[in-house]
Amino acid sequence: MSEDAVASQNAVPAVRTVNLWKIYPQDPEPVEAIRGVNLQIDSGEFAAMAGPSGSGKTTLLNLLGGLTRPSRGEVWIGGVEIGALADKKLARIRLEEIGFVFQAFNLLPVLSAMENAEFPLLLQGESVSVRRAKVRALFDEIGLQGLESRRPGKLSGGQQQRVAVARAVIADPALVLADEPTANLDSATGAALLDVMERLNQTRGTTFLFSTHDPRVMERARRLIRLVDGAIESDQRR
Amino acid sequence: MNDRSLWWRIAWRNLWRNSRRTIITAAALAFGFLSCVVMIGIWYGVIDEMIETGTNLVSGQVQIHAKDYLPERSMHATLGGQGGIEVGTYLDHLETEPYVVAAAPRVYAGGLVSSGEHTVAGIFLGVEPEREARVTRLLASLVEGRLPVPGRRELIMGDEMARTLDVRPGSEIVVVAPAADGSMGNDLYRLTGVLHSGLPTLDGAYVVLPILDLRQLLAMEEGRVHEVALRVSDPWVAPAVAMGAGLMPQGPNGPPIQVRAWTDFRAELAEYARLAFAVNGIVVAIVFGMAIFGVANTLLMSTFERRREFALVRALGTQPRSVAWTVVYESLILGVIALAAGTLITAPVMYWLHEYPIDLSRFTEGFTMAGSAMRPVLRAEYTLDGPVVSAIGLLITSLLAALYPAYRVSRIPPADVLAD
Repeated sequence: MSEDAVASQNAVPAVRTVNLWKIYPQDPEPVEAIRGVNLQIDSGEFAAMAGPSGSGKTTLLNLLGGLTRPSRGEVWIGGVEIGALADKKLARIRLEEIGFVFQAFNLLPVLSAMENAEFPLLLQGESVSVRRAKVRALFDEIGLQGLESRRPGKLSGGQQQRVAVARAVIADPALVLADEPTANLDSATGAALLDVMERLNQTRGTTFLFSTHDPRVMERARRLIRLVDGAIESDQRR
Repeated sequence: MNDRSLWWRIAWRNLWRNSRRTIITAAALAFGFLSCVVMIGIWYGVIDEMIETGTNLVSGQVQIHAKDYLPERSMHATLGGQGGIEVGTYLDHLETEPYVVAAAPRVYAGGLVSSGEHTVAGIFLGVEPEREARVTRLLASLVEGRLPVPGRRELIMGDEMARTLDVRPGSEIVVVAPAADGSMGNDLYRLTGVLHSGLPTLDGAYVVLPILDLRQLLAMEEGRVHEVALRVSDPWVAPAVAMGAGLMPQGPNGPPIQVRAWTDFRAELAEYARLAFAVNGIVVAIVFGMAIFGVANTLLMSTFERRREFALVRALGTQPRSVAWTVVYESLILGVIALAAGTLITAPVMYWLHEYPIDLSRFTEGFTMAGSAMRPVLRAEYTLDGPVVSAIGLLITSLLAALYPAYRVSRIPPADVLAD
């Protein structure tokens, strides 16, 4: 990427939170899953959130991705505060600004690899020729060429997760949120997937934020945010 | 492929993920379609039979009288005769009118019929046998003997009357009736045949004889008739035929007449038919009303199994409405599959029930319904209403059954479901 492009991306953070809280009302006491988090992820970052189970990693990812509404505080994506947006507008933000990679291989089983990968473009109304060209180029880049017409059931776990990554980045979102993307993969496959994501980060400037337990992910991340009990314990840039 | 075609494609493929369930649900809907079409077809068959026997047995489907004949049925209020129309020409003219199949003249009288010690009151009906046979099935109801020959003082009567008088073909019958000239007409006739129509009124009171012989008995001028009965190509066009100017003898300046369709003089039949059409709607509503719950249940199960997929597409930025539509599309495709299957199984069943009606003669010899003698068979009639109303019912069922499951999936919270 050129220096101008990097400077332009850095002008607005990919995502920013201000005193973010998520409280689940439960008996006998409400659960404070996220407690006053202030976080900014800049465009082009390759960052990971780590922490023990129950530390709030997934909840924070869901809040950043507009899948859950905050109890208090603000979430800003590309200059828009999404916490109070109507469902319809929030869905639009997710479609245009955010890509998701989930832990389980969340592909639609009735669609082929290509159809899964082009799904966001299709929702955005892109023409079939543009969609197909983009997906083919991306599949070539991440080693999925020749698998376009296969359904998820005919793909390995690593291939499925790479299709999910392709779907997450295909529409050039401001931010890709990956919730433990390597958790169900063996070491070699997990490492290969990380290679793919790192390469996309470097070549396309795609911003990645992972939640993870996986030391390999933590090692590769250029920023490591540690969460404990719903609050940021440490935030290291490398 | 645009956004909407994607959801149609997903809906289609989802249906075949559990093909057994899809086939069973479609089969239930197809059977509902079959039931509705067959029930409506049989119902129309009953109505047609009722109208057919109610109008074609004796009354005809359109009746023409002199203007002042009804309601008194005066013997002197006739068509034809001196200064009136020439009936033969008029009948020929009527048969050239659109939808008119045949026309037959009648003369009526009331009187007494005796044999030996027995006497009963009777209605005398004078007919031209050839013309009458083309308008009604009255003469075809002859079950014993033969038709009377004009000029030989012969008659036939209903079997109930014959039983009452204790006569059979060949017996001598004395007939007495008030004549047109004020005298009392009476003569000796020979019974040549016995009718059985299944209608007690007809079988117990009607005496049928050639129109020439009855005019002679009644001292009526030649060429006079009380009634012209018409048969039309479709009973339901009778009211339009009756309204048409073409039935007027000698044009608009001719002698005044009164024309009535069977929907007037057998108004109860028309009411019954209208009631039957309303019942069709109720039948369809009941059958598919039950089906709605079955289909909705299937869709609820099917969408519950795919909650993660719905949550995923919501997470990826799909609008709630689009997610809901995919369930509606699934249900509509299911409905179309069921309709196609239903049509395939219904066509031969309808053909069979039309060509080989259900024979109920083991249970009944026949019965009367709204004053019509019904034959003991259930024939399914081909109608457009049956398939159209049932198809609409089926598709509406598919749509309604999808509404609640579609609402449910549009409300799925993506984060909670994906975390499960």
